[in-house]
Amino acid sequence: MARKKTANGAAQDISTATTSTDSIPSPPSPDRPPGPLSLPPLPGPREVVKVNNYSTTELKNACDDAVKRYLSRPELFQQNHQHTDVRLALGWLSVFVAGGTGLYGYKVEFEQSKPVVWVGLILYMLLTFTQTLYSYFIEGDIVFVGKRKTFSKRIITERITLSSRTIPVSSSSSNSTPITPPQYSLSLSYVRSTSANKSLLAKGKTQARAPYSRFFDAEGGMDGDAFERWVGEVVEEGMGGLPASKES
Amino acid sequence: MWGLDIRRSLLQAQSLALALTSTLMMYSALGLVMNCKSPIVVVLSGSMEPGIYRGDLLFLSNYEPRDYKLGDITVYQVEDEAAVSIVHRVVQTEVGESPLSFRILTKGDNNEVDDISLYRGLERLERKHVVGRVRGIIPYVGYVSILFNEYPRVKYTVFGLMALLNLA
Repeated sequence: MARKKTANGAAQDISTATTSTDSIPSPPSPDRPPGPLSLPPLPGPREVVKVNNYSTTELKNACDDAVKRYLSRPELFQQNHQHTDVRLALGWLSVFVAGGTGLYGYKVEFEQSKPVVWVGLILYMLLTFTQTLYSYFIEGDIVFVGKRKTFSKRIITERITLSSRTIPVSSSSSNSTPITPPQYSLSLSYVRSTSANKSLLAKGKTQARAPYSRFFDAEGGMDGDAFERWVGEVVEEGMGGLPASKES
Repeated sequence: MWGLDIRRSLLQAQSLALALTSTLMMYSALGLVMNCKSPIVVVLSGSMEPGIYRGDLLFLSNYEPRDYKLGDITVYQVEDEAAVSIVHRVVQTEVGESPLSFRILTKGDNNEVDDISLYRGLERLERKHVVGRVRGIIPYVGYVSILFNEYPRVKYTVFGLMALLNLA
């Protein structure tokens, strides 16, 4: 597969700054379920993702989508859609409330319709406000919540949560220090336990960041392989180091 | 993977729908606060020139006390079937036996005669005919609405383009 040149091919490769905190070392290999790097890449041509290089929103959304697709493969985690579903439910409910209120106000004469329109308006405002609060406080930066059950001697349950954000271009006051390009910061928390959470096997929190220029070329095409490899490394680190029997 | 795709399409459609509904809700809220069934109207005729021209956007209010005085510019509707709204100035007021019965006569600034011929048999207008009193004017903006109503194709193309751009 031809590799596209990155826009900053000449610039130094900013190494990923990973900080691992709070991790309990994992038990020997037989107990450790396979991580994403041990999976072969999917056969067939990859869907081309093209974004606007100048919009960090689009860059972040493309990366988030790639994370979701990668980690929800059948052999890996099963995604928990709760946050998205709550957002969809609240949002669409408020759309229907607004539509119903508008229709009622159109059909019924103004003075008569006033109480119902007041109720509809207040309901709409409550729903959109609740949805905003939920997105901001409860969902926050989270992009993927997943779970997996594997069986090796006993049933092992793993839970993983990934959040991401964009670290914007840092503008420095003095001209001599180099400006860092926008970066994608991925944070991960991972728990592995026996079924019914009877005993904790492994727990880890990882955070890594990489500049967007590492995964997107000058035209905005995304290098899915490189991105998936990087995500796989972060996930494997969160799972508790690479297994001893990994073939590189 | 279709679960991801369905959710993503629903989220995109939702953001578009929410943009539309929030505009609708703001308009309804304005109507409730101003106690006016159409708080924002577009002027169609030039009968109030040189103060108000065709294509101007008017902001109306109709909250208590609805005592329309001489010199107020009011928007009124005579019959519900025709539902033609006319924006003219109050030139004569009469208070009847009780404070609730209150009649006005209007005339456009740019017209030679007063509006009695427009009242469809009524001698004077009553409070119930008045949609609201003009509070503010934004010139020219209303021309977009006039264009959309007189050339429906323009409306469909503009909205179709906006929808496509939002989804792409």
